[in-house]
Amino acid sequence: MGDSQYSFSLTTFSPSGKLVQIEHALTAVGSGQTSLGIKAANAVVIATEKKLPSILVDETSVQKIQLLTPNIGVVYSGMGPDSRVLVRKSRKQAEQYHRLYKEPIPVTQLVRETAAVMQEFTQSGGVRPFGVSLLIAGFDDNGPQLYQVDPSGSYFSWKASAMGKNVSNAKTFLEKRYTEDLELDDAVHTAILTLKEGFEGQISGKNIEIGVIGTDRKFRSQTGLRLVSNGASKQKVTDKWEQKICMVWKLDMLLKCHVK
Amino acid sequence: MTKSTIELPPKGGFSFDLCKRNEMLFKKGVQPPSFRKTGTTIVGLIFQEGVVLGADTRATEGPIVADKNCEKIHYMAPNIYCCGAGTAADTEAVTDMVSSQLKLHRYHTGRESRVVTALTLLKSHLFNYQGYVSAALVLGGVDVTGPHLHTIYPHGSTDTLPFATMGSGSLAAMSVFESKYREGLTREEGINLVCEAISSGIFNDLGSGSNVDVCVITKGNVEYLRNHVLPNPRTYTSAKGYSFPKPTEVLMTKVIKLKEKVEVIEGGDAMEE
Amino acid sequence: MSIFEYNGSALVAMVGKNCFAIAADRRLGVQLQTIATDFQRIYKMHDRLFIGLSGLATDAQTLYQRLVFRHKLYQLREERDMKPETFANLVSAILYEKRFGPYFCQPVIAGLSDEDKPFICTMDSIGAKELAKDFVVAGTASESLYGACEAMYKPDLEPEELFETISQALLASVDRDCLSGWGGHVYLVTPTEIKERILKGRMD
Repeated sequence: MGDSQYSFSLTTFSPSGKLVQIEHALTAVGSGQTSLGIKAANAVVIATEKKLPSILVDETSVQKIQLLTPNIGVVYSGMGPDSRVLVRKSRKQAEQYHRLYKEPIPVTQLVRETAAVMQEFTQSGGVRPFGVSLLIAGFDDNGPQLYQVDPSGSYFSWKASAMGKNVSNAKTFLEKRYTEDLELDDAVHTAILTLKEGFEGQISGKNIEIGVIGTDRKFRSQTGLRLVSNGASKQKVTDKWEQKICMVWKLDMLLKCHVK
Repeated sequence: MTKSTIELPPKGGFSFDLCKRNEMLFKKGVQPPSFRKTGTTIVGLIFQEGVVLGADTRATEGPIVADKNCEKIHYMAPNIYCCGAGTAADTEAVTDMVSSQLKLHRYHTGRESRVVTALTLLKSHLFNYQGYVSAALVLGGVDVTGPHLHTIYPHGSTDTLPFATMGSGSLAAMSVFESKYREGLTREEGINLVCEAISSGIFNDLGSGSNVDVCVITKGNVEYLRNHVLPNPRTYTSAKGYSFPKPTEVLMTKVIKLKEKVEVIEGGDAMEE
Repeated sequence: MSIFEYNGSALVAMVGKNCFAIAADRRLGVQLQTIATDFQRIYKMHDRLFIGLSGLATDAQTLYQRLVFRHKLYQLREERDMKPETFANLVSAILYEKRFGPYFCQPVIAGLSDEDKPFICTMDSIGAKELAKDFVVAGTASESLYGACEAMYKPDLEPEELFETISQALLASVDRDCLSGWGGHVYLVTPTEIKERILKGRMD
């Protein structure tokens, strides 16, 4: 217990009114890889760095953006293993809702449930808070939505947000770039540019990951889409959204124009 | 933590709260209730490229036809469907539940569901309930290992077959399959044979009736042909309808005006200029 | 005697053009003895959603209270009214939870969607849904109601015609059922208003 006597138990407040473990969890998030999300006029984009510890790691096996329901995706900053627990619980929650009402869970409800789990882990015995913050992107009857959920269990709706390493830089950058009537393509560009801001080394299609959801209410992540486009390469892409995203998705090409 | 006294939404599983009371009522001589059944003819067969499932569309409650056009082919996964016979609530609930589990499993593994996975989940649930969950199923689908067709009995036993029938009309349908099924049917022949089998159930079994639903599953494609054949259209409706010479005697009328729906315009910014 | 016949009931719902009607008899009995002639079987969940509960009255009332609880909880949580389809699924889930010790109730649900599309549905006592495009019935008079509705119903009726059709169907049917009757209670719901009417019927 290096820090103080108040880091002994999670349920002990320090005299200044803080729960130190939660602060520590936020520090874990702050030192995690950068993730960001942008809510455009008719879509949401989430993106993250995907830096691997060694070039020997097979990058196709690492997927940081995941689906919670067909119309809700999530990305994390912080501890990967912790995020998996949350993803599993959230998916289950979404499925339970679906089984009860036969209707897809609204984004707000899923965010609230996920946040409730994270809160529970700040108050229960024998557990520690999650070392992750989540960005949840979804599209439902209430339009495009972007939420951030923190280890304390608090959640906020954002027009654009970032977390992890370089948060402040990324947020300042987003503040400068953000407009209300952002289109999907612009949002993807902005997302890549923002990531590029604090990126150490060369940015490429292999060390970042992007997820998009638009009016068709189908969340697509870059890896997922690559699979889709490979599988459906023979078929003509007729779906409007699919076309649009496939265009945006020529990521390496896109990157070239940014990287020079 | 003490159990809170207010009722919270259930986490799943059955509740046996009323069993004792109901048992007492039955002992006093009241009849236990009857549930909605799907008297049913359901069938399935394997053809060249995949599986065809078929079902009639009658639901019964005792001798009464409760629903003339119900759906008995249930969705399990994008590549798997399941026909249900028996107590309607059970078939519906058990297929929904397993479909949910399969979806979570797909998220977890990132692969297409397999028919055997669905089969195992269904049979273990039914076996656990010793036949009290009365669902008799015909499960069909195409996965990475090819086309599959299974039947599942309410007690949890299963068969793997090239052609299968279930429900009260199963004998009528099986007689058609036994005389006409052969290996390597084309898609067209498969659909026709299924229609013939279901029709035989519709016309020879009182528990089955109305229309024929068909579902054709092939590699990477599903075609759900709802009401593929309508052999029993209603012919006796009068176009004029009824006119009532003397209106009903009304003792009291209360009118509640509903509030008009107001469109909320978001973002006042536009107005300011 | 079946437990559904203990109190006696007749319930029917019909779809019209951008409207629906739901009707019930008003008798509460204990077997052949009549206890009340102003019993309420149809409940309002919100302005455009109604549920009628036939069968054992005690279970109907208990179930109704549970449904109100769940519906209010949903309204608070999600800040919106339940869609009729959603509500039907909730009722079905609640009934199926008691699969092996059911409520002796058969619900009839009728509602208008946000797009003013009418929705009707009925279930058995363990939650097997039956979605119909035209009409649904429940209760001890259900057999005669099936007959009357099959004959009298026609699609796309205007609200007042629909009222007349459902009332005549109900009154004709309960006259052939000794366990239900004693007048009728009709709700006629259009996108702009709810008309609640009490019908005069035979009192024998």
